[in-house]
Amino acid sequence: MRVITSLLLLVAVAVAAPAAAGPLDTQGAAQALVCSACHGFAGQSRSNTMPILAGIAPWYFKKAISDYAAGKRPSPEMEPYAKQVMQIGVDDVAAYFAAQARTPSPVVPDAAAIERGRAAAGPCTTCHGVSGKGDPTKGVPDLTGQPPGYLRNQMLLFKSDRRSPGDEQLKAIKTLMRAIPDEQLSDLAAYWSSVR
Amino acid sequence: MTQSRREFLRTSSWAGLGLLAAGCAPKVSDFAQKSGRRVVVIGGGWGGTSAAKYVRLADPSIEVILLEPNKEFVSCPFSNLVLSGVRTIDGLTFNYDRLRAHGVRVLHETATMIEPDARRVRVGADALPYDRLIVSPGVEFQWDQVDGLAAAQDRVLHAWKAGPQTVELARQLQAMPDGGVFVLTIPPAAYRCPPGPYERICQVAWYLKGNKPKSKLIVLDANPNVVSKAALFRAAWQNYPNIEYRGSNKVVKVDPGVREVTTELGDKVKYDVLNLIPPQRAGTIAVTADLVGADKRWCEVDHQTYESVKHKNIHVIGDSTIGLPVPKSGNIANAMGKICAVAVTSLLNGRTVPTMAPGNTCYSWVSDKEAIAVVNSYKIEGGKVVQIEQKLTPGQSEAWAQNAVGWANSIWADMLG
Repeated sequence: MRVITSLLLLVAVAVAAPAAAGPLDTQGAAQALVCSACHGFAGQSRSNTMPILAGIAPWYFKKAISDYAAGKRPSPEMEPYAKQVMQIGVDDVAAYFAAQARTPSPVVPDAAAIERGRAAAGPCTTCHGVSGKGDPTKGVPDLTGQPPGYLRNQMLLFKSDRRSPGDEQLKAIKTLMRAIPDEQLSDLAAYWSSVR
Repeated sequence: MTQSRREFLRTSSWAGLGLLAAGCAPKVSDFAQKSGRRVVVIGGGWGGTSAAKYVRLADPSIEVILLEPNKEFVSCPFSNLVLSGVRTIDGLTFNYDRLRAHGVRVLHETATMIEPDARRVRVGADALPYDRLIVSPGVEFQWDQVDGLAAAQDRVLHAWKAGPQTVELARQLQAMPDGGVFVLTIPPAAYRCPPGPYERICQVAWYLKGNKPKSKLIVLDANPNVVSKAALFRAAWQNYPNIEYRGSNKVVKVDPGVREVTTELGDKVKYDVLNLIPPQRAGTIAVTADLVGADKRWCEVDHQTYESVKHKNIHVIGDSTIGLPVPKSGNIANAMGKICAVAVTSLLNGRTVPTMAPGNTCYSWVSDKEAIAVVNSYKIEGGKVVQIEQKLTPGQSEAWAQNAVGWANSIWADMLG
């Protein structure tokens, strides 16, 4: 019995051991340390409002950093950090995050909200695809596995034209968002967050 | 928030089981000899936890021992919300079990002396040898700077290190009769968390407005004006007519017997509840180990490795440092801890230290639901930390408050998760 207990405890320790996320001496890793306060170690955000950067496509990361730094995507939090990343070398930081395996958000949305979101997700798939993984050739990002709070906030920012105001490429999504009630945006966020 | 905390604790309990499996709690004497390379970290706050965890992440072959007398970590950020009753202290309290799961040996002991030449930390009668030492002792209060304070430490609350004093100050605020006077005194800069006292003003004023509308909050600020986010705080205070703010009013004397403080100008102010935030300096171990500068208050460090300018192989991080254009904030201590960890690991491995700069994100709650923020980014120029930009939120909002919650959950996990 004692042996079994010990074995169970060993398993418990193994479960608790941190996942190896890559050494910190790879290019970009040390520079990305400042990001982990909000975005989690190796870009694996644990919170509902901060996006997961692990596994993010470099083209999208670099566009986001560039837009934040230019004030095109207004954010008092991200604008200073984006300028810092630009000065450090955005390519290295983008490559580092892209190389990290993404673990989906630990925030689990309500099952009923996920189902309502699934039923309403048709319009999203026109651009983001049925998989929700997006299309880099059209500048459409991956939605899947991101925290629902982050996805919802972005949809609300599109809806009120506070994300990249005046951007011609985003006209269609903003028009779409304005037609969707806020509660349904929460359902859509829940659904796309749950997609793997 | 609740969900994340529950998740956090659930995982922590697994690590706790691991400790039980290992037998009884380790003692300092168990580590009197070292077999491989060892980093000792003094202080389990924002800087020390981050440094300890990230040394292990950067190089798991390095032994890390963290010395922290408290069994639990209590977050200072968000603790002003305990005064207003918006949060509980339990929601800000975490154990160190997940640090242990990273292989950090956490010893709940107090470092009593540092021997730089012998590279040892004394803990009572025992000594811990180290290859590199990271000192993150936070701040200590300068009790002697206010006449009558040293003798009244148990009765005059600072609530500036989150914990029992925070809970007691909240209790006193709740017990104060409607029509009572709450006096908050702010020390001269530099002190821990520049916007903290002004956020506290908002939280106390918000509570009084809803619960004791005849009461008054008198603020005696040693500084000539609000030290941080001044315009945003002053705009927020428009909602609280119960605030009476007096700049350039340094408190020099307290007399709890007659419930009165005296300012440098000779004004005497009566109180029903007093929150006196004393002037501050680096944590005691930094002073006794001669890590502080000529001012005997703060520690000067190299801006890229955080190695003390006074003693080799000893690094100082967090609120105890001076000379960098950064605030004494939890976020900065976390950044310094991570940068210092990578620097120390690089040095121990004979590698070039990468160029790394800190960042600062700082939210302040101005009511039960709304927050404001300031963000600073930095770069290294000529070997020194230089600010790239400071940005403030354009106003206060519930959206910033949601981001504040996200920030807190993330950074607590970055330090302790």
